[in-house]
Amino acid sequence: MPDRRTPGAPRRLRAPGFALAIPAWVWLIAFFVVPIGTIAWFSFGYKPGLFGTHANDVLSLDRYREAFSPTFFTTFTNTLRIGITGTLICLLIGLPAAYWMAVKAPPQRRGLLLALVMVPYWTNFLVRTIGWQVILAPHGWVSGLLQRLQFIDEPLAVLNTRTAVLIGVVYNYLPLMILPLFVAFDRVGEPLREASKDLGANRWRTFVQVTLPLARPGIIAGTALVFIPLMGDYVTATVLGGAKGNMVGQLVASQFQTAQNWALGSAMAMVLILVIAATVVVIALLLWLVSLPLRSRQRLVLEEVA
Amino acid sequence: MTPPTAAPASDAPPRNPQPRSWTDRLLAVWGVLVLAFLFAPIVVVVIYSFNEGRLLIAWDHFGFGSYTGLLDRPEIRHSVLVSLQVAVLSALVATLLGTTAGVALARRPGRWVVLFLGLLLLISVTPEIVDAVSLLPWMVYLGQDAGLVIFNNGLVRLVVGHSLFSTAVVAYLVRARLVGLDESLEEASADLYALPWRTFRQITVPLAMPAVLAGFLLSFTLSLDNTIVSAFVQVSGSTPWPVYVLSSLRSGLRPEIAAMSTIMLLLTLLALTLMAIVLRRAGDSATDIARNIGG
Repeated sequence: MPDRRTPGAPRRLRAPGFALAIPAWVWLIAFFVVPIGTIAWFSFGYKPGLFGTHANDVLSLDRYREAFSPTFFTTFTNTLRIGITGTLICLLIGLPAAYWMAVKAPPQRRGLLLALVMVPYWTNFLVRTIGWQVILAPHGWVSGLLQRLQFIDEPLAVLNTRTAVLIGVVYNYLPLMILPLFVAFDRVGEPLREASKDLGANRWRTFVQVTLPLARPGIIAGTALVFIPLMGDYVTATVLGGAKGNMVGQLVASQFQTAQNWALGSAMAMVLILVIAATVVVIALLLWLVSLPLRSRQRLVLEEVA
Repeated sequence: MTPPTAAPASDAPPRNPQPRSWTDRLLAVWGVLVLAFLFAPIVVVVIYSFNEGRLLIAWDHFGFGSYTGLLDRPEIRHSVLVSLQVAVLSALVATLLGTTAGVALARRPGRWVVLFLGLLLLISVTPEIVDAVSLLPWMVYLGQDAGLVIFNNGLVRLVVGHSLFSTAVVAYLVRARLVGLDESLEEASADLYALPWRTFRQITVPLAMPAVLAGFLLSFTLSLDNTIVSAFVQVSGSTPWPVYVLSSLRSGLRPEIAAMSTIMLLLTLLALTLMAIVLRRAGDSATDIARNIGG
C-alpha cells in the first residue's frame, strides 16, 4: 500500500521496516546464492585426474556439451515427460477433488477433509513410497487379487517401470496440488456463484465462466508446486523405478556421490534449473495465450470514479 | 481477504435447496476415492508394521515383534530424535527470518521488494537436489577451509539446509496475510505514540499470527520429510530419520521401520488434534489456515 500519510507526519517506521528484511537477506545469500554461485562456477571447470573432484584453471563449456550427450539427453527428456504427465495427472485428479472439498462438501467438514489431505505428509515420504512398493509387488496381494478376478493373467509387472514412477510421483505430489486448488475454490465464495445462477447461467456455465477463471491463481500455484519438485525428484525414481525409470536427479546425485565429477554434476544441475525455468515460462505463456480470447470477450470497462 | 469471522457464517444458511444431482454425487465419490488413494500406502505400512518376517515386504505372520524390536535399536530412536530436533530448530529459524522479511515486504514496499521476491522465487523453483549438491561443498569449505568449526556439526548443517525453502514459504505467507489487511491499525498505534518496536510486537505480529503459525507448521513438516538435502549435508552420527530409511533401503527394509512410522503417525495425529482444539479456541478455523497457506 502506498504511503498515504500526510506530508508533515513523522515517518518513524521507515528505517526499521527495511532493516527487518536484512537477517533474511544475509541468511539466504550466505546459504543459497553463494553455494549456487559456486556450483555455477564449477560447471565451467573440469575433473582433474582420478582423485580430484573439480578444477577451474581452464574454463570451458565442455561440461555442458557433455551434459547434452545422447545418454544424458534421453534421461532429460524422460524426466521432462514424467514431470509434465505427472503434473497433468495431478491436476486432473486434484481439480474435482478440491472442488468437491471446497464447494460441495458440508462446510463444517471442510477443515477435517483438508487435514486428511495433509496427514499423509506427516508420514515420511520414503515410507509412503515403500508402501507403494508393497502394493505394486508382483507377488503381493493386489497382484493376487487382480489375477483371481481375471483382470490380468500374469503377476503384476508394474514395479521397476516408468508407470510405477508415475504412480509414485502423482501420489507424492497430489496434496501439493489439492491444497492451493482448495484455497482458490474456497475463495470464490458462494455469493458469486449464486449471482451467476441468478443471472441465468446453468451450473456448467457458472463453473466454466465464474469459478474456474477465479480459481486460476490456485491452478497456477498448484501446477508450479507439483512440477518443480517433481522435476528434481530422485527418491521416488530410486525406490520404484529401478533401472528403467531414471531421472535427472539421480544423475546429478551420482556425479557428486559416486563418480566424484563435480564439474559435470554442476553443469547438469545448472541445465536442470534452466530446463525447469524454461518450461515454467513456456507454460505461463501458453496459459496467458489461452486466456486471451476469453478475457477480451468478458472485458468490462468501468468508468473511473473521480 | 475477507475477515475470518465472515466465512463460516455465510456458508451455513443456504444448505443446498435442491436435491443433490448426479454430478454432485460423482464428485463426492471422486473425493472419497482420492482420499482412499492418499491413505492406501499408509494403511499398508501400518498393517505391515505387524509383520513378523525378517523383511518388511515379505509378509510372514502377525505379531508385535517389530515394536519390541525397536527397543534394541537405539539408532532408529536416535535418528527420529535428530529429525525432531532439526525440525523444531529449522522451523524456528525459518519462522523468525520469514516473518521479519514478510512484514518488511508487505509494509515497506520499494524497489528492493522486486529483487527480494525474485530471490524468493528463485529459491522456490530450485529443485532440492540442486540445493543439496551446492550446499555440500560449501559446508565442507566453511567447516574445514574457513575454519568455522560450527559447520562441521551435523545438526547445524541440517538446520541450515532445511531452513532455506521454509524461509521463502513463511515470507510468502506472512506477506500475503499482511497485504490483505489494512495498515490503519499500525498507523493508529504509531499515532498513539507507540514506538516502532512496540507497534511491531503488539499490532503487526498478532495480525500476522495465523500466517506465522501456518508457516511454522509447514516448515516443521517440510523439515521432517526432507530427504534429499539431508542425505547430502548430514554428518555421520547425526543421521536424520529419512536418511536412515534411505540407507536401510539398500540393505533390505526391516519391519521396525514400519513400526516406527506407525508410532510417528499416531503422534502426529495426536498433535494435529491438539492443535485443532487450540486453534478452535483461538477462533481460527482450519479453512482460514488453509486460506493463509494459499496466500
